[in-house]
Amino acid sequence: MGEIIVTMEHIYKSFPGVKALDDVHFELRSGEVMALLGENGAGKSTLMKILSGVYTRDSGRVEVFGQEQGNLTPKQAQELGVAIIHQELNMCRHLSVAENIFLGREKTKFGTLSNREMEQEARKILDDLKIDLDPKKVVGELPVSKQQMVEIAKALSTNARVLIMDEPTSSLTSREIEDLFRIIRELKHKGCGVVYISHRLEELQYIVDRVTIMRDGQFITMMDFKDTTMDAIISNMVGREIKEKFPRVTCEKGKCVFEVKHLNAGRMVRDISFTLHEGEIVGFAGLMGAGRTETTRAIFGADPKESGELLLDGKPVQIRNVADAIRTGIVLAPEDRKKDGLCTKLSIRHNIALPNLDVLCDRAGVVRHKRETEMCDLAVENLMIKTPSVDKDVATLSGGNQQKVVVAKWLARNSRVVMFDEPTRGIDVAAKVEIYHLMNKLKQQGIAVMFVSSEMPEIMGIADRIIVMCDGRITGEMDAGEATQEKVMTLATRFEKKVAIVNE
Amino acid sequence: MQAKRLNPARRFLAIRGMASAMIAFVALIVIYIVFGLREPNVFSSANIQNLLRSMSKYLIIGIGQSYLLITGNIDLSLGSVVGMSAMISATLMTHGTNPLVAALISLVCCLMIGFINGVLVGKAQLPPFIATLGTMFVARGIAYMINGNRNTDAIASGIGKEAGDSFQNVFYYGKTLGVYNTFLVALAVFAVFFFLLSKTRTGRHIYAIGSNMDAAKLSGVSVFATTTKAYMVSAFCSFMVGLILCAQAGMGNMEAGNMYEMYAVAAGVIGGISPLGGTGLLLGTLAGAAVWQTLENGLNMIGAQVGLQRIVIGVIVVFSVLLDVVVRRGTRKRNK
Repeated sequence: MGEIIVTMEHIYKSFPGVKALDDVHFELRSGEVMALLGENGAGKSTLMKILSGVYTRDSGRVEVFGQEQGNLTPKQAQELGVAIIHQELNMCRHLSVAENIFLGREKTKFGTLSNREMEQEARKILDDLKIDLDPKKVVGELPVSKQQMVEIAKALSTNARVLIMDEPTSSLTSREIEDLFRIIRELKHKGCGVVYISHRLEELQYIVDRVTIMRDGQFITMMDFKDTTMDAIISNMVGREIKEKFPRVTCEKGKCVFEVKHLNAGRMVRDISFTLHEGEIVGFAGLMGAGRTETTRAIFGADPKESGELLLDGKPVQIRNVADAIRTGIVLAPEDRKKDGLCTKLSIRHNIALPNLDVLCDRAGVVRHKRETEMCDLAVENLMIKTPSVDKDVATLSGGNQQKVVVAKWLARNSRVVMFDEPTRGIDVAAKVEIYHLMNKLKQQGIAVMFVSSEMPEIMGIADRIIVMCDGRITGEMDAGEATQEKVMTLATRFEKKVAIVNE
Repeated sequence: MQAKRLNPARRFLAIRGMASAMIAFVALIVIYIVFGLREPNVFSSANIQNLLRSMSKYLIIGIGQSYLLITGNIDLSLGSVVGMSAMISATLMTHGTNPLVAALISLVCCLMIGFINGVLVGKAQLPPFIATLGTMFVARGIAYMINGNRNTDAIASGIGKEAGDSFQNVFYYGKTLGVYNTFLVALAVFAVFFFLLSKTRTGRHIYAIGSNMDAAKLSGVSVFATTTKAYMVSAFCSFMVGLILCAQAGMGNMEAGNMYEMYAVAAGVIGGISPLGGTGLLLGTLAGAAVWQTLENGLNMIGAQVGLQRIVIGVIVVFSVLLDVVVRRGTRKRNK
């Protein structure tokens, strides 16, 4: 391991309403792979975005290659030799490998492109990394793993010596992961420092030298990988302080309302079976991308199912599309309210009425204005949506109130099963508590509540039963009483083994 | 919270799209008065009558195109369907078919094109620009072929002078209660589609898919059904204008309705219908069509060249959208 090439000290960064980074330390040596670990929202990406110039820090010191740096722009960071390889690859799919590698810095001779020179240079970089790839190939036709390698080659062609990789293995097969690891080792030998962000803890042993653990925007610890254990890493990741008080109400657990049997829908929903009972909130925990959103969408009929059975009150129900689900009484308050939940150009009235027009219209399809006004006023009152009138555009509401409109759409009708997908994301604490109260109210009314959340404290504080998912499968289930953050995190990172034996 | 009572005027303007529609109305009045001051004949009752009659065509096609713009789509086939409607009706009438039957057959053909547009855009997910570009050529081709690549003879040659005159009167030359029938037809079309858009389930779905298709789908709205209905409304409007043009000329013209799809976009956009979907009121289209026709009429009366007319109209269209963009950007900043 070489000298220290990146030092970050006392880094602070806050966004409106959130302290994203709070006195964080980080260092990276040349020729090492440093794993940066933490739950979703721990601040890993924010920290790396500061290093790569995407965000500016509020205060703190950054040193790269022994030189102190002010606020970097992405271009300056690139010139310094810091490159970031995102989870979603940023490639021009229709251009060739060589064209992508030299994008924005094309080599020219008398104003015309010198393609041959660029291709030769691209080939040299690829050969250096022992990547078997034709620089003339069109990137869009390559498998994801190869595209990722093109990104790495591109980074190296700009003389990057600090490579940040964000979840690089999430979409790779085991064979491809081995290839990637080989290249990462190659980079190490060349003296690059690699920051490796991943939730797949079982992979770390094959490549990682040191780990840095973050939690709640704070630096927790930095240790040599060989001196630590998986259990120690997990308990450092999760030991999250539960500050807020959660308004839990206890209810008699009643009969089973809704049952899902062996549901399959693509790679992210595999053999999912669970039950929802009267008088309980079932929390779905897991890391982002665990397949929970996909599961709710498949149940709701928004995405096609491959196989599986749904039973409502013991009777099988057929749900082929969203309209079927709504009619049956199974509804979904989706995760991304701007994208999936609301028509932001329309009024509160139109949004709440939209899924309920079947009950609001007369036979001829004319909307009954009075009935609609009653429904909307009642919803606004019940959910305490703060607005002077239901005819206001939803875009004028705060995030918390917008979220309440998303929920209000579905509570205006007699639903039997309500699925909440990340209902508290991006809203303030007071609004969160109101959403919790609302779920409790539904639970008391005997409505089955499914509660998907990536925030472990709220799941532990609100749900009566917790189901943990990882990689499209259910990896465990427990009552809230016996749940600990460590248990949940262990289950949430129980990926299928992709890497078997990798020889050095 | 307590329902604060805004004063009626502010409540009226708070309706989404109303402000842009009202701006268009104000512009209309200003334009009208400016022309009237230069050329007093603009104010004459005969001119007003003419103005109302000639804006009717733009109003009707504007309504059709507005439906599509609100869903976030466009209908380029609109003008060609106008031509198809005129040619099919006229050809049938020159062969002695009863005008009512001829119109019905023409209507069915036009609605077919609308339905096909709906399938291509709503089901097959083709970009609306491309799908309706295709049907635009097809519909125009049909208009050409229907009478063997020729304009038709006078419709009176087939159904007789009396029936021919009465057809022309009903749609163009006749007056009821002192107003040209054409304008009354346009008003009726406006009333029906205004109601459909603002008071019914279908109307709500049209706004919803234009505002956010994903959210609409997750609320159980069928994108295919809604898109298809919008295209069929547009086809119906084209059909009506086809009849009007046929009545005006007393024959079928193969080039009838040429470029009307673009005039229709202009009428809607001037009236504040956002080409990005989700917002706009037919009241705006009404104002837009009137602005358009008043400009054309006024520039004509003061003897401006045709070229200048086009330039003025082009500038106004761009300005209305620019205004929309600037206003939108302003509100977005304020909401942040």
